[in-house]
Amino acid sequence: MAQFGLFIQQMVNGLSIGGVYGLSAIGYALIYSVFGFSNFVHGEFTMVGAFVALFTASSLNAPFAVSVLAGMAGAAITAVLVERVAYSPLQNRRAPSLYFFVSAMGMSILLQNLGIVTLGATFRTFPLKLPIETIRFGNISVGAIDILTFFLSICGVFLLEAILKYTRTGRAIRAVAYDSYAASLMGINISRTSMAVFLLAGLLAGLSGVLRGVSYTIYPTMGSIVIKIWVCAILGGLGSVSGAFVGGILLGVIETLVSGYISSSYRDVFTFVLLIAVLLIRPAGLMGKTVEEKA
Amino acid sequence: MRRMRYLVLTVVVLIMVMALGVPAASKAKEIKIGWSGPLSGDGAAWGQMEQWGVQAAEKEINDAGGVLGRPIKVIFYDDRADKLEVVNSVKRLITRDKVVAVLTHAYSSCCLAVAPLAEQYKVPFVSAMATHPTVTEPTPGSGKPRPNFFRVVLTAVAEGGSLATYVRERGFGKAAVIYDISQDYSLGIRDSFTKKFNSLGGKIVVEESIKGGEEEFRAVLTRIKAANPDVIIFTVYYKEAALLMKQARALGLDQQFAGGNGLESEVLTQLAGPAAEGAYVTTHFSPEDPRPIVQEFRDRFKAEHKIDPDSNAGKAHDALYLVADAIRRAKSDDSKAIRDAIEKTTKLDGVAGTITMNLKTHNPSGSDMPMVILQVKDGALHYVKSVSGE
Repeated sequence: MAQFGLFIQQMVNGLSIGGVYGLSAIGYALIYSVFGFSNFVHGEFTMVGAFVALFTASSLNAPFAVSVLAGMAGAAITAVLVERVAYSPLQNRRAPSLYFFVSAMGMSILLQNLGIVTLGATFRTFPLKLPIETIRFGNISVGAIDILTFFLSICGVFLLEAILKYTRTGRAIRAVAYDSYAASLMGINISRTSMAVFLLAGLLAGLSGVLRGVSYTIYPTMGSIVIKIWVCAILGGLGSVSGAFVGGILLGVIETLVSGYISSSYRDVFTFVLLIAVLLIRPAGLMGKTVEEKA
Repeated sequence: MRRMRYLVLTVVVLIMVMALGVPAASKAKEIKIGWSGPLSGDGAAWGQMEQWGVQAAEKEINDAGGVLGRPIKVIFYDDRADKLEVVNSVKRLITRDKVVAVLTHAYSSCCLAVAPLAEQYKVPFVSAMATHPTVTEPTPGSGKPRPNFFRVVLTAVAEGGSLATYVRERGFGKAAVIYDISQDYSLGIRDSFTKKFNSLGGKIVVEESIKGGEEEFRAVLTRIKAANPDVIIFTVYYKEAALLMKQARALGLDQQFAGGNGLESEVLTQLAGPAAEGAYVTTHFSPEDPRPIVQEFRDRFKAEHKIDPDSNAGKAHDALYLVADAIRRAKSDDSKAIRDAIEKTTKLDGVAGTITMNLKTHNPSGSDMPMVILQVKDGALHYVKSVSGE
């Protein structure tokens, strides 16, 4: 296989993985940009989305699109519940962002273990029979699901930006992100806006969870990918939703090229070296605003 | 009146102390043996099979009157195949539950984690399925095995070796080897496969490492595609192997797949689907083995659990039998006596082979114990043939 062909295939692989990361990172970055803390429970939102879709597809024999929507709904509901239980009490007390971070980690561990206890730690496959699984261009193979994931991530970015720019809720969200106290003085219902943010993040997380579950496997601790998502968000610039998407693509490509041309064992080493480099050289990331606290 | 109250209190306390003493005395009739393994998490499919195999043996032994006229009781702990957790479980079994022997572990890495405890507490440990050479011999080939560690399964040397022999026999000469750098088991099979394959005139065209727990392998598989092998060897565990096989086929890799017993699980075919079809797996036991002792075990197991036993169940069953047989020959439940008797085991027929313990390695002798070749056909692993374990 010619060297160039090899490179093209690796780029395709990288973009495929990047699409998965990107889609997961968008919802995560939304929460960061509005509330200023890392919502590590985001991984568990994706896990819930994947499992709800799995059960809808296998037990209720629903068509794929319905399962995806069910997964998104499940994740969104979970997100809103977590917001009510773990964050709004802290919000009302004007707690520092570190408290939110700790609360997030706690909820994350809780949901993971709840999943292990109730669902069992076995790996499950999503029952999906696509008419075409892989598309071949000569020697290059592209997964059909990967194309779908990439396409949906881009749609997700545009849709989210549109909501933020053109809808009332979107404007409220932006106001809260800028200054929540001032926004409340302007008559914006912080509590309702908060739930709306988590709803949106949950929907996106659910979608990414289902697609990840279809591409790989579904299991209760699949949310542990959130560390990588955090890296994507930092690369792209915490505080920028489209930045997080770009960060996701970038991470996917870098990981693949390192695995493909250097060694698979160095992949994670490289990722975190890159993270440190970004934090030292350009902490705002590619497209973000300068923020001191990245927790 | 006061003195009466004190008298009554003293009598009550005395009765309570005696009551505490009495259950202890009746429990001492049981001979306790410990088991630690993964009942949840990554290795759960195997740990569960091992537990069922041990329970089957426990029931058979107790139904036949137990050992030395006493019933045996196996105490099970779930350690999630976590190297820290297994140390805790084993310590609890020895110090709190006071077991006379410990059956552990399916994972070579966990065996190595608790091997020092076997020597520290001088309790014999028997592993049913760990195959890395250093589990029983800190320096393989030195003739100085760990005094208190034994196994009833052939090591990675036999496994990798028989895999290489079979793959060469089928006409494959250019192998790609995928291994897991985080698992001692995988490194062991990789080494023994490579050595035997090269000695039989084969060539390893490319070697790629992955890390257990990862799901995305297309970068590594693209490199393998470029090296143009005619067979791809998976020395990893079943979850990673299933994803690797799926992604490999999607990338257009049509080569024959083969692997060690890390692949032996129905989870492999469940996760991989048609991608696993035709893959060879070397392992230690097959429920389709026509020998009567195997078929009887299979029937009883299937009646209880509705599915066939696998190598884990078969070997774990034999591990408990090894300990029970040793207790009988030692005529004692003292851990040292049991250890000495295990070392002298000769031609003990198990469902998963005949065990003659090699004094110099604490492994079963390969001339009495076979390896088994399986192949994935129609979505399940099927018995092909038994080969020598030498």
